[in-house]
Amino acid sequence: MAQFYPGTSQVAQNRRNFCDPEYELEVLREISDEDVVKVLGHRAPGEEYKSVHPPLDEMDEPDDIIRELVEPIDGAKAGDRVRYIQFADSMYFAPAQPFLRARSYVYRYRGIDTGTLSGRQIIEARERDVERISKELLQTEYYDPATSGIRGAGVHGHSLRLDENGMMFDMLRRQVFNKETGKVEMVKDQIGKELDEPVVLGEPLDEETLRAKTTIYRIDGEAYRDDADAVEVLQKIHVTRSNYGYIPK
Amino acid sequence: MADKKFLDAMKTKFKEAPEEKTTTFYNMGGWTQSERKTEFVNRGKEIAEKRGIPMYNPDIGTPLGQRALMSYQLSGTDTFVEGDDLHFINNSAIQQAWDDIRKTVIVGLNTAHNVLQKRLGMEVTPETITNYLEVVNHAMPGAAVVQEHMVETNPALVDDSYVKVFTGDDELADEIDSAFVLDINKEFPEEQAEALKAEVGNAVWQAVRIPSLVGRVCDGGTTSRWSAMQIGMSMISAYGQCAGEGATGDFAYASKHAEVIGMGTYLPVRRARAANELGGVPFGYMADICQASRVTDDPVTSTLEVVALGAALYDQIWLGSYMSGGVGFTQYATAAYTDNVLDDFTYFGKDYVEDKYGGLCEAPNNMETVLDVGSEVAFYSLEQYEEYPALLETHFGGSQRAAVISAAAGCSTAFATGNAQTGLSAWYLAQYLHKEQHSRLGFYGYDLQDQCGAANVFSIRNDEGLPLEMRGPNYPNYAMNVGHQGEYAGIAQAPHAARNDAFAFNPLIKIAFADKNLTFDFSKVRAEFAKGALREFEPSAERSVIIPAK
Repeated sequence: MAQFYPGTSQVAQNRRNFCDPEYELEVLREISDEDVVKVLGHRAPGEEYKSVHPPLDEMDEPDDIIRELVEPIDGAKAGDRVRYIQFADSMYFAPAQPFLRARSYVYRYRGIDTGTLSGRQIIEARERDVERISKELLQTEYYDPATSGIRGAGVHGHSLRLDENGMMFDMLRRQVFNKETGKVEMVKDQIGKELDEPVVLGEPLDEETLRAKTTIYRIDGEAYRDDADAVEVLQKIHVTRSNYGYIPK
Repeated sequence: MADKKFLDAMKTKFKEAPEEKTTTFYNMGGWTQSERKTEFVNRGKEIAEKRGIPMYNPDIGTPLGQRALMSYQLSGTDTFVEGDDLHFINNSAIQQAWDDIRKTVIVGLNTAHNVLQKRLGMEVTPETITNYLEVVNHAMPGAAVVQEHMVETNPALVDDSYVKVFTGDDELADEIDSAFVLDINKEFPEEQAEALKAEVGNAVWQAVRIPSLVGRVCDGGTTSRWSAMQIGMSMISAYGQCAGEGATGDFAYASKHAEVIGMGTYLPVRRARAANELGGVPFGYMADICQASRVTDDPVTSTLEVVALGAALYDQIWLGSYMSGGVGFTQYATAAYTDNVLDDFTYFGKDYVEDKYGGLCEAPNNMETVLDVGSEVAFYSLEQYEEYPALLETHFGGSQRAAVISAAAGCSTAFATGNAQTGLSAWYLAQYLHKEQHSRLGFYGYDLQDQCGAANVFSIRNDEGLPLEMRGPNYPNYAMNVGHQGEYAGIAQAPHAARNDAFAFNPLIKIAFADKNLTFDFSKVRAEFAKGALREFEPSAERSVIIPAK
């Protein structure tokens, strides 16, 4: 059995769940393919995918054993350009957190490139694959409309206090809470361009659900120092890396 | 809670209580909430009108001030300033700190004296040394001593250029004109003075300051050349030499190569900088340039003054501008010397060490201590961000937090063991703990050096390991990473602060900067930065005497 993450806490279990491709992510909301395209802002709904090369089966590529071994993802087969979706995850119990995203992405998705900072986490792939992945990321427990932000640029908010509606700060105010419906709406695409019609992202997860699903250790949730198994493994990694400087045989 | 050193700053920065978890946004008035931004707008308008080219306009691009544009308290002071005031362009004290380092080179007189005495049979006495120093203090700022039809520099522009000497020989020091002597006995506590004098012995060294303007117009590489040229001419004049005789070549060789200590080493050509530039200043040198250790016996203060100096110079000026360009590094670097955050974390670590091990430098210098102190301080620090949302909002970038948490863990562990390597090991441990606790760290750079650095802490191999005091911004893997180098300098200082050592790495550098004639006071770095922010710092090397009066 793959050992995705150490620890006996619920946070550790959640990290294992996200990383385990056999674990079926809970679907929490429905977002249409068209709405995913709008949120991403890379093409208009219905618009053809832009190509950067002909479909692979039309290209006269040299024989190569790697090409035989590795099945191309759909977007690569079609010649799509590379596009992205980027998230900002609040430290106030957002379900997915940056390194958890990175680690789980590489377990779950092929043909991707992912990068991690404290305030934003990007996944890049061929455009139609990004759309497929984005739909899963937005519909499932990876995402909470209030504490997860879809932000291409001007990302900051992950460490700021939430507002009175539990929404994470966003200087471009892309995701807004509709007090009448109780749902969060995306009024701009991820880069900040206004949408003709808002995309409804659903109700914010309640605090109990967030705390049950979150992947961040916090003293007012589950403290990392109390997850002795996880800390022990980490300290072992530190000792092992330190010893490796002597190139042990 | 009452003991948290950062709370006063938090209460001033935000209208909400530090523990409050919610706030309001988008109603702050944008940039108008800031006195400094408002000043910038007005200046920008005036300039645009005058020059006919649009300039500063904060309504372009990202909407500034959608949340509170907070103030910053210089740690260890009562001074609150705006963030803009700590950008090195806006802060003459930060500029002066770098000017004072770059203009310095330490040059021995010992080879020259040997040549005079043993080769030429001349006498060298305290009187001849004093005479030479009078000559070189005329020449070093840019005046002529050997030729009669020479252009010279205006003294009002180069009044920060001079030469002083120091020696471990008290008798000799007493006999040289005191105007030219860095008096070790006067500047250092007795024990430190004795240790320093023992290191220097009977040798005589010059602390040479060339004019700051020269460094600004040329570069740090010019410092030793300018110095050597003026020293050579002064030797010829003071000792009545023939300008062409062979011995003058020896003077030149001594003052250009044999007995020269630059503040920074030469950098690889890809970084395109000469010696005496910030990228070549080892962490141990930075620790010794800082002078807090001779005016306080508090190891935390002594250490964090080094961090502040390093953060401003390595992060804001070196990486932020020389290497990267742009303006963003100030926000990042100032986290280490504002709002008493690192102070709180480090005092916690010091107290923990004293309680657990019965004092500083008492813990075993091994991995168990690293795991114990490093983990405890990292956990404490991380949890403060969780307990006080205002603190998390203050250090709103993960890189800021990563730097401060690991610095606290590293310095505290070095306090415990009295050894910088175990301190450095705790730095790396804290990076991992941070990464796993919050599932985030800093920018991409933290995925490089902070993940592989542990392997080169204890094993010393060519290019892959060095005592921390000898590492610097130019060390492999450290060359490109903001938010680390000032903190590393602090960890290099920490064990020596805990041991009350007279110096961290180079006694000559420690002595050379114990100098009241320097414009920047290196014994109180953060207070000087505060003066700069308040526009109360009086810099040197201003050009007002050669430009139209305003």
